[in-house]
Amino acid sequence: MRQGSRRAAPLLMLAWLVAASGARADGWEIDLDGRLLSSDANPSYTQGGISGVRFDSDQSGLKLGRARFALTESLGELWSVHLDASAWGDHDRIPAGLTEAFLQFRPYPFGGYRLRVKAGAFYPPISLENRAAGWESPYTLSYSAIDSWLAIEVRTLGVEAQLDWLGTRQGHDFDVGVTGGAFGWNEGAGTFIAGDGFTLTDRQTPYGGRVGLPGDPVLMNFEPFRELDGRAGVYGGLEARWLDRLVVRALRYDNRADPTAIDYTSGAIAWETSFTSLGARYESAGGWTAIAQYLEGDTAIAPDGFVLSWPFEAAYGLIARQWGHHTLSVRYDHFQVDANANAGGSGAETGHAWTAAYVYAPDEHWRFTLEWLHVASNDYQRAEAFNLAPFASETQLELAVRYAFGSAVR
Amino acid sequence: MRASIRLGALLGALACGNARGATLVVTVQSADGKPLAGAVITARPLEGTARRPEPIKAVMDQVNRAFEPDLMVIPVGSTVTFPNSDSVSHQIYSFSPAKRFQLPLYRGTPYPPVHFDTAGVVTLGCNIHDQMVGYLVVTDAPWYGRTDAKGTWAGEVTRGRYRIALWHPRMREADAGAEHEVMVGETGSAQLTVRLGKPLTPAPLGDRPHSWDY
Repeated sequence: MRQGSRRAAPLLMLAWLVAASGARADGWEIDLDGRLLSSDANPSYTQGGISGVRFDSDQSGLKLGRARFALTESLGELWSVHLDASAWGDHDRIPAGLTEAFLQFRPYPFGGYRLRVKAGAFYPPISLENRAAGWESPYTLSYSAIDSWLAIEVRTLGVEAQLDWLGTRQGHDFDVGVTGGAFGWNEGAGTFIAGDGFTLTDRQTPYGGRVGLPGDPVLMNFEPFRELDGRAGVYGGLEARWLDRLVVRALRYDNRADPTAIDYTSGAIAWETSFTSLGARYESAGGWTAIAQYLEGDTAIAPDGFVLSWPFEAAYGLIARQWGHHTLSVRYDHFQVDANANAGGSGAETGHAWTAAYVYAPDEHWRFTLEWLHVASNDYQRAEAFNLAPFASETQLELAVRYAFGSAVR
Repeated sequence: MRASIRLGALLGALACGNARGATLVVTVQSADGKPLAGAVITARPLEGTARRPEPIKAVMDQVNRAFEPDLMVIPVGSTVTFPNSDSVSHQIYSFSPAKRFQLPLYRGTPYPPVHFDTAGVVTLGCNIHDQMVGYLVVTDAPWYGRTDAKGTWAGEVTRGRYRIALWHPRMREADAGAEHEVMVGETGSAQLTVRLGKPLTPAPLGDRPHSWDY
């Protein structure tokens, strides 16, 4: 009963906000995304296995890609609330949940500066491809290895402030900004990197969700969004923009977890995870988009002071060409997880992926995407924990049809 | 827009009504020699006293998350109404030194016109839709207007010496700050062609969905 009422609380809040959304509502939106797919991959973590892609060979056929409800509502003059809830049609503990939910404070720009403050649950400002509503990529269905990792187990539950100097509003060609965030409840971040390594997916773990099924020998059905040691994590970033063409971002992130902290009841461990992210996106007048992103970091646990650490890095390059309602994109991903001597190689992985996608979006309601994704990786855990060959070459072909409607879709 | 250009020229002629009329034609070319449409031209006589242009009442609408028109030239003392014809709310602001103001979250036309009493460029934005940008060029010049598709503006002026200034949102600072002198003499007409020294900044990308993160 108590469990049930806790689950109902976000839904009641949504209902209240929908009811309260009057003339000033920025709008609500429902997206339904169905997939026709063919895959030769091993089962992924959502099926109790380990894979480089989201869907496995047994899931070939029709699948739910995502069902999403989002609401953005002004609260008075300078505040707004944004809620993003999704269902993914797989075996997660809760069938639907919030991937983001935050309040935003946006005072008027003053003296050439603009301040934005967010409080709640949201993605740190890293991704340059996932720029569409619902933290989706307008270029491909599957996110890059970097953004897939963020989708699975990295989220800010805390406060973020961004201060921009708006040069383009003062006769200059560029804007610059600084971002700082403080957060908690993300000490599971790192479990997936050390366990499964990198994967390319478009499934975002909702709040309250778990990763890996019960009995998963590596992930053990962990909760990424947990606080164990009472220590806040921080991040700080810089952003520069040249007109509306080029964006360059750098971010340093450290969840400052105490790697010796363990919750003895559940067996959950705090993962000390820190990384540096660098990225740039350029768009030309001819419809070309180029994105390059690099992420390098380390995650560690130290139960009883015995330090196990996994340095990791990932990078991708994406080129897209848009003409009219059509977009063609190609992306190359490289990723690698190392394991320190104490870990004895457990969790080490190296791999790469090619993604090619064609998107046809005739209007704001319909989007048709055809994507071919190929991932090849060598993963120690495949052999150690799942009794498979360490090397796997997996291909997933998806046709997605998405229909979006609501007052925010226009 | 066209009405206000004509009005400006007419008022200028009235201001110096004792002199004989003449035509001043200014042509603006970009650095690669192509005609530049939409450039703002202001012309000030260097001799004598010209009255300030009469203030106007202008309207700058907001349609499909954009200012419509996105650039207007208005005389000092003019007022501008900012209706919002979109179904979404906007929140208009300017932090430009020539006029700092804000219009809290609204749709329709709930606010009285805004008064612009200092010359200068006022850059307008929406605090919710960061990609929205608009410009008001507030001028105290007796003659003003914008170049047409051929890069040309023509004004009926009095004879004498004029200082011509140019402005365009994509013009580099050196070109926008440059002033040009022209003599409208006994022939009753004068022509000035200005070729910009530097290329314009690239035009804003217009084809991205509103919902994207910019």
